[in-house]
Amino acid sequence: MTAVLAAPPLHRDRRRWAWGLGGLVVLGWSLAGAGLFSGPVLNPSGLRQFGRFAAAALSPAHDAEFLRVLAEATLVTVAYAALGAALAVVLGSLGAVAVSRTTWGRRRAGWTAVRGVLAVPRGLHEAVWGLLLVNVLGLDPWVGVLAIGIPYGAVTAKVFADLLDEVPRGGYEALLASGAGRGTAALYGLLPQAAGGLLSYSFYRLECAVRSAVVLGLIGAGGLGYQLALSFASLRWEQVWAAVYALAALCVLADVGGRAVRRRVAEPRSADGSRPARDRVLVVAGLGSLALVAWSWWFLALSPATLTSARTVDQLSYVLDAAWPPATEGDLLTAIGSAAVDTVQMSVIAIAVATAGAVLLSGVAARRPGTGPARWAAGLAVRLILLLLRAVPPPVWALVLLFVLLPGVLPGALALGVYALGVLGRLVAEASEEVDGRPRAALRASGAPPLGAWLYGVLPALGGPVLALALYRWEVAIRDTVLVGLLGAGGIGVLLSGRIAAFDWAAVTTVLAAIVLLTLAVDLVSERARAALR
Amino acid sequence: MSLARAARSGGPADALPASAVHAFSRRTLLAASGLALATTLAACGRTSPVSGPSDPSGPLRIGAIPDQDPEVLQRLYGIVADALSGALDLDVSYAPVTDYAAAVSLFRTGDLDLVWFGGLTGVQARLQTAGAVPIAQRDIDADFHSVFVVNAATGLTPSDDLALLAGRRFTYGSETSTSGRLMPAFFLREQGVDPDGFPGGPGFSGSHDATLALVASGTYEAGVLNEQVWTSRTAEGAVDPAVVRYARTPAYSDYHWLLGPSAVDRLGEDLPDRLTDWFTGLSADDPGDAEVLELFGAGSFIPTEAANYDQIEEIGRDLGLIN
Repeated sequence: MTAVLAAPPLHRDRRRWAWGLGGLVVLGWSLAGAGLFSGPVLNPSGLRQFGRFAAAALSPAHDAEFLRVLAEATLVTVAYAALGAALAVVLGSLGAVAVSRTTWGRRRAGWTAVRGVLAVPRGLHEAVWGLLLVNVLGLDPWVGVLAIGIPYGAVTAKVFADLLDEVPRGGYEALLASGAGRGTAALYGLLPQAAGGLLSYSFYRLECAVRSAVVLGLIGAGGLGYQLALSFASLRWEQVWAAVYALAALCVLADVGGRAVRRRVAEPRSADGSRPARDRVLVVAGLGSLALVAWSWWFLALSPATLTSARTVDQLSYVLDAAWPPATEGDLLTAIGSAAVDTVQMSVIAIAVATAGAVLLSGVAARRPGTGPARWAAGLAVRLILLLLRAVPPPVWALVLLFVLLPGVLPGALALGVYALGVLGRLVAEASEEVDGRPRAALRASGAPPLGAWLYGVLPALGGPVLALALYRWEVAIRDTVLVGLLGAGGIGVLLSGRIAAFDWAAVTTVLAAIVLLTLAVDLVSERARAALR
Repeated sequence: MSLARAARSGGPADALPASAVHAFSRRTLLAASGLALATTLAACGRTSPVSGPSDPSGPLRIGAIPDQDPEVLQRLYGIVADALSGALDLDVSYAPVTDYAAAVSLFRTGDLDLVWFGGLTGVQARLQTAGAVPIAQRDIDADFHSVFVVNAATGLTPSDDLALLAGRRFTYGSETSTSGRLMPAFFLREQGVDPDGFPGGPGFSGSHDATLALVASGTYEAGVLNEQVWTSRTAEGAVDPAVVRYARTPAYSDYHWLLGPSAVDRLGEDLPDRLTDWFTGLSADDPGDAEVLELFGAGSFIPTEAANYDQIEEIGRDLGLIN
């Protein structure tokens, strides 16, 4: 966060103008693609249906039987998250060795190749992994664990490798010079220094895994998302809201716990000022996580034998045989092309909506000590609303918005936008808490109204960090677009779910390849744009 | 500090103060024992809350495609499982599925033995699973219909002319639903309407209930759904007055019970016949049987054979849903 918030240079940068204009053109193109300039997009007669959904928020289902079902589903979700994150950390640690610069030294070609391989598991959304795995493993708890563990493992490997590569190398080189092997030198010279970062990131992955475990439920892998999908298919809004509240509570818990632990890792306490003592909170958190992983293993009754059973091998070879060679008919490629355009447009609109909303709300959502109780209450209310926006999964938003919008790209795009607003709103509020408060205070003291002081005292300093966050969220949004599509809201996900439904594995391979390429391209553009911002 | 280093490089452990050894090994010890404990417990035959047991000698696992209210499905198949279990002296369990494709895959993998499939999914599952046999269908399945519905604001009055729907925003149900997509598309095409040619492309609402809600909201001007669902929602008074019944499709064959080969291997060659006999022997005069029949909305079950679904296979291939 602090890296993002470094004071922007004051000179005008041509590259930024080019990127800014380019961004506006893409946004205009996306809005035109959504039909915003070519006819009505609203469907006011659907307000009654939307009202039914909204009204149910105040009367969530709370009969004992349903709550019992929800509680069990919550445990399944937690278990998926814990085991998925644990698997990701294990895979990430092994993978980090394979992809770190330290391993490859000057052999750049090898390093680039390995990083390229990692992009494949990373480019596919957890839900896509889930759908593919369900076809191989059937109704098995491994589906949820692997669907989180594989893509997370790839991300973790990259981050772990970067952390190892970035620590000061003095100790490592000294050990090498004194004759230690490269493995030993890395173990004693690099690992201890990177340990804090690695631990912190592992907890961050656990937090994210909770959210992913919910999403996996939506595609039928069990847990809270599965209960939500069941209630959702029959439009029982009271039950949907009960599941959403359970989800929000779980996310808050993961969030608060994870952040507390990460803060402790970042600022180790020293007992008497001489040398840092063992931090009890961290020990409890570490042991607690290990216990959670062990409990999850027991609770889901995972059996490693399933992964190597003859049946699994049969099914895997069945699917792989059918999936190769990939389909290359002209019809399919055309369909992929137009679906990819829809996907990009949806993600661009989503991020534009979310960014604008997040900036507008940040003034209220940010915690600002020393203000009155009314301001405090308003801030709390906005933060709670943001929490609910990100607790309702995007596919639910997509159907609900389809009541009040005409069909097309827009309902899906806005669904993603609303969800991304929930996430970005919090991040932007946090960024605005960290902005230097003095310009605003000076403006206020010289008589500027609150809005004016915010516009001229806060917004300019907030611009850079917000754009960087928005670009980063765009990379996430393109993956989420695939998810929303899987559940019918348009874009390339629709194509994927259609081909899976028809068991056309050769076409599935082609669509998957297109998705990986699309996410790679978006990552690349976003990375370049963020570099221009720095 | 120096002593701890000695320990790590293999120095004599007994020369160390207890605390150094303690600090080094506590976490590892706990982690190892925790994992060992977990593995032991997992080996105690606990059943996963996600999936039921799937050992080869296990019970008969029944399932169904998620074509209507899952709450109803859960209740319905719980009762069927109990009745089957009592009649055939077998353990029978119901495993819910949320996805049409997953139901087919799980049938192919042998996770589900006896599945209540729709017309299309039944054909897909049978073509992918050598040795699968249709067991029974309901009396009404040999004469199945879908209904086209329109929003009242379109001003359309009930008619048999599907061509009038061509320029309307139109939604199907789930993409692979026989009654919500496949057969309606077939009859649309018979009347010269391109089933994929609606303005902006046809929608796929995901479920019959969602189709009703989206047509009620006016987001889509017209849609199509299973006649059974339409009839029962109308009887419940759950249909928004803005939704009007427009047309009824001609009859087609739809749902059926399909049995997988692995269950026959496990439970005996006569299993298909025993199952068919049990289903066709259900009588509305017996209170227990009547409950099952009523939940299925059937007067009775009748035998069926693969040839009844040849038409669906042919149409499915034409629409690219069967490879």
